[in-house]
Amino acid sequence: MRETTTTGTDGAGAAPRDAGARDAAAPRPARSHGAPSPAAGGAGRGRAGAAPAPSAAEERRRARRSRRYRRDVRWSPYAFVAPFFLVFGAFGLFPLLYTGWASLHRVSLTAPTDMEWAGLGNFTRLLGDEFFWNALGNTFSIGVLATVPQLLMALGLAHVMNYRLRGSTFFRVTMLAPYATSVAAATLVFVMLYGRDYGMINWALGAVGVDPVDWQNGTLSSQFAISTIVIWRWTGYNTLIYLAAMQAVPRDLYESAALDGASRWQQFTHVTIPSLRPTILFTVVVSTIGAMQLFGEPLLFSPGGSPAGGVDHQYQTLGLYLYEQGWVNLHLGRASAIAWAMFLILLLIAVVAAVVARRLRKSQ
Amino acid sequence: MSVLSPVDARKPRDPRDPREPRKGAAGRPRRRSRAAGAGGQFHGGRIAYLILAVVTAVSVFPLVWTAVAASRDNTRLAESPPPFWFGSNLPRNLEIAWHDANLGLAFLNTLVVAGSIALGTVLFGTLAGFAFAKLRFRFRTALLLLTIGTMMVPPQLSVVPLFMAIAELQWTNRLPAVVLPTLVSAFGVFFMRQYLVRALPGELVEAARVDGANSLRVVWHVVFPVARPAMAVLGMLTFVMAWNDFFWPIIALTQQNPTVQVALTGLGRGYIPDQSVIMAGALLGTLPLLLVLAVFGRQIVGGIMQGAVKG
Amino acid sequence: MTRMARRTRRSRHRMAAAVAATLGAALVAGCADDGGGGAAERAGSDGRTTLTVGLFGTFGFQEAGLYEEYERLNPGIAIEQTVVERNENYYPQLLTRLASDSGLADVQAVEVGNIAEVTATQADKFVDLGERPDVDPGDWFDWKWQQGTTADGKTIALGTDIGPMAICYRKDHFEAAGLPTDRAEVSRLWAGDWRKYLDTGKRFMADGPDDVAWVDSAGGLYSAAIASAESRYYDADGDIVYQDNPDVRAAWDIATTAAEEGMTARQEQFTPPWDKAMNNGTFATLSCPAWMLGYIQDKGGEQSEGLWDVADAPRPGNWGGSFLGVPESAPHKEEAAKFVAWLTAPEQQATLFEERGSFPSSPSSYDTPTVADATHDYFGEAPIGEIFARAAEGIPTQHIGPKDQIIAENIGRSGVRQVEQKGLSPDEAWDEAVKAVENALGR
Repeated sequence: MRETTTTGTDGAGAAPRDAGARDAAAPRPARSHGAPSPAAGGAGRGRAGAAPAPSAAEERRRARRSRRYRRDVRWSPYAFVAPFFLVFGAFGLFPLLYTGWASLHRVSLTAPTDMEWAGLGNFTRLLGDEFFWNALGNTFSIGVLATVPQLLMALGLAHVMNYRLRGSTFFRVTMLAPYATSVAAATLVFVMLYGRDYGMINWALGAVGVDPVDWQNGTLSSQFAISTIVIWRWTGYNTLIYLAAMQAVPRDLYESAALDGASRWQQFTHVTIPSLRPTILFTVVVSTIGAMQLFGEPLLFSPGGSPAGGVDHQYQTLGLYLYEQGWVNLHLGRASAIAWAMFLILLLIAVVAAVVARRLRKSQ
Repeated sequence: MSVLSPVDARKPRDPRDPREPRKGAAGRPRRRSRAAGAGGQFHGGRIAYLILAVVTAVSVFPLVWTAVAASRDNTRLAESPPPFWFGSNLPRNLEIAWHDANLGLAFLNTLVVAGSIALGTVLFGTLAGFAFAKLRFRFRTALLLLTIGTMMVPPQLSVVPLFMAIAELQWTNRLPAVVLPTLVSAFGVFFMRQYLVRALPGELVEAARVDGANSLRVVWHVVFPVARPAMAVLGMLTFVMAWNDFFWPIIALTQQNPTVQVALTGLGRGYIPDQSVIMAGALLGTLPLLLVLAVFGRQIVGGIMQGAVKG
Repeated sequence: MTRMARRTRRSRHRMAAAVAATLGAALVAGCADDGGGGAAERAGSDGRTTLTVGLFGTFGFQEAGLYEEYERLNPGIAIEQTVVERNENYYPQLLTRLASDSGLADVQAVEVGNIAEVTATQADKFVDLGERPDVDPGDWFDWKWQQGTTADGKTIALGTDIGPMAICYRKDHFEAAGLPTDRAEVSRLWAGDWRKYLDTGKRFMADGPDDVAWVDSAGGLYSAAIASAESRYYDADGDIVYQDNPDVRAAWDIATTAAEEGMTARQEQFTPPWDKAMNNGTFATLSCPAWMLGYIQDKGGEQSEGLWDVADAPRPGNWGGSFLGVPESAPHKEEAAKFVAWLTAPEQQATLFEERGSFPSSPSSYDTPTVADATHDYFGEAPIGEIFARAAEGIPTQHIGPKDQIIAENIGRSGVRQVEQKGLSPDEAWDEAVKAVENALGR
């Protein structure tokens, strides 16, 4: 689901690249391993009893301390990462692999521990499963409808907000109100606004002479409506991300551009956008992952909260299809196969993003 | 001055602190050429304010209308044009929603769940992030790559086995079923690592060690003080995320022991004679986070923006 | 400076300790919190045993005052219910909890569409209610009793209500269309044949108010039509035969004809927009099993009071009705079983009918004055006891299979509603429906 990854936005674009580079450059003083070095002695000034001629007892104590010290240095890193990897292994990695295992079986929700080997049956079945392809297509089209306008608007808004403004904090905070609204609350409201017979949006359209739209039942209309919920919730957040990145653009770049006679618009396209590329790429990736996992909005968009995604499955996303297979049709094995298919698709997207990122870096 | 003093553990002021341009807006001479971004040099015109006014209206309108709908009744909501202003039913609807959706228990549960998850993510994320950022050990790179790789594993992927697991453990409807799976996050580790790589000078750790501090003391006296701003941001983001989490909780929990989102979903699907009551529930479920936003808005905005630039 | 630093350190110590303590406490609280414990503990504070009841839709036990009565008769007992509106959301939750033996209420309802699957796959998870001294199988219709009983004779759930069908209609709209409004005359308009019901609908659409449809939804019409057929998706041997069953096709034709002719209000039943349509009176008829009356009353509100009436359905049928079972892992098994036996006994079924219109599955109650003389004031004093008893006696015995619910849902949603909402031809929609059903059935 979207929440889980969106916070990832702040991980910010350049991260993996920087990671390696910085490590290589980071000083690695030799003294971090083993016995006190001369430098350490220097740093230890002011400690009581740092006598030039240590007694035998002192010597032993020092040896003991140094042993303990070595052990500590050696093992503490593992201790620090252990809690994370233990919990993560138990509740992240293991389920991931087990889902793969379950996807090779027939498993019914009526008896979830009773598994029957099915080989790749669930996967070959997906290849010919028009409901799966439909859900994939919907996920893609809702993803595009939700992500592209969202990020473009966020970019434009960030530019506007990058001017010196009165009350900028107020605008920034109100922009975040949708982000603080939950999927459930937001969707329940939008469903009412988009009601076919009594919704405010159709009433407003009627007031300007447009025929009421059957938001639920049309393919494009329902996907558009769901996209607007996503857009509403995330545009403000992404605006702040872009705004932060814009404020980090060195000012002299603009000054020299201005000296070259560039208009404000040219400055925006020739200075701002290129400087923001890593951030933009990263928000695209994160939004894509979020779109891939879209679940709550389309689930609650159907008036009964059904995972079918409309009479024609016209807004059934992969997340919903997985839920329907597992928890309505009771086929947990098939649901697992859908989960793994989603994972593989995300991996593909990640690889593409990595390639694009590399190209981008080379071109700079 | 002792090297363990947290005072000098503070990193130098980040020149890209997003709050800086605002403070500098009064025309204080800039110390650094890169202090402000593109438009920072221009005042926004009327169009800018117009755009922002529209955006603000769009951001706020659905929330206001939630309250309007919550103050009406089913009959009025079935009329056209829909109501634009508040009616008199708000207290009644809030009361029904509170009772029917079990919202009191839901708030308590969500506080426990989101609080535990936020604390766990921050604590374990900082420890692991510190190890990845500043300590050397075998498999460090491999483990880090594994962590980064799993950031994009969709929660859907673990749902089936988790479900089987809670079926075995008889954990349906119990809070650990929703706390434990998200108690740590790869993102949290990565976020803290990125922050500490830059913000925590290696010499500081070394100096503390030379002073005889063991690793725990180093973490306590050096790492945590330095990491505090990032820990706050991570904690806040995680809390909001956990508060609004939806996919797994609606599978693991039921109306009898719900989180707020589960309760709201139940309200949306439940036998409620009145849609205005559903809106009242949505309003109640949203209000706590909106209040937090109203009070700590500046800090939250700053946190998100800082997080955005740091990584 | 040093002192300052130390103090800062100490206060930081304290803060960190507080943080750690909170984390620990939160986790412990989280781990200690028992499933469903919230409700049980709250009510348990006054020393009573709280029985929890998990329901969907509109049973109306609480509204009929049956919980209160039982609590009065059994001072140590308190009863609390949770309700999910739609069975399609309730049932997976029930299975989930049965599979994990946790989070179950003391009493769980099962809808007739799922009862076959529950008896076939979950029988060992339920308490046997059939052998209890306070339960007499003769109180129920035999078909109803058998539906809750496994092949080897374990009765895992007792019938509550059944859903004998009638047609609810709006007198004001009928009058505007020049149709009779008297319920006997109205019943004669379509007696014996759903086609006649459609013919009346055509007259109504021609002469009635412009913005009022004949029937609320094609999906609802389909449910009603199939409910009155001799058979549905399974044959007597338990094989799935929906594709070739002429009864299914006949019901399909009725529903899709109504959709194609534009006679429906294009609603989806049991959704807020449907409620609003009912509130605004935008359709003239609605197939109403007995349990629907309470729903219409709730959603229709005061402004529709006295406008509705009840006539016989073209053919008698059973739509819906439910069962109550006690899970083996329920916290209070014995008390719950006793409660279920009481709640499903003829007297309480009669009370429920009197108060809420849910019709008894116990024919022995039909001759009691409570049922025989029952009228419903919201529906113009219609003699609903007589109407529904007549329908109940005529209900055909259908074979219900484990996947009945899923087949019905997919035919309704992917099939009938596609004709209604998306304008597909009935043949195209049938192909879609078959695809959806097969996909849902295939393991």
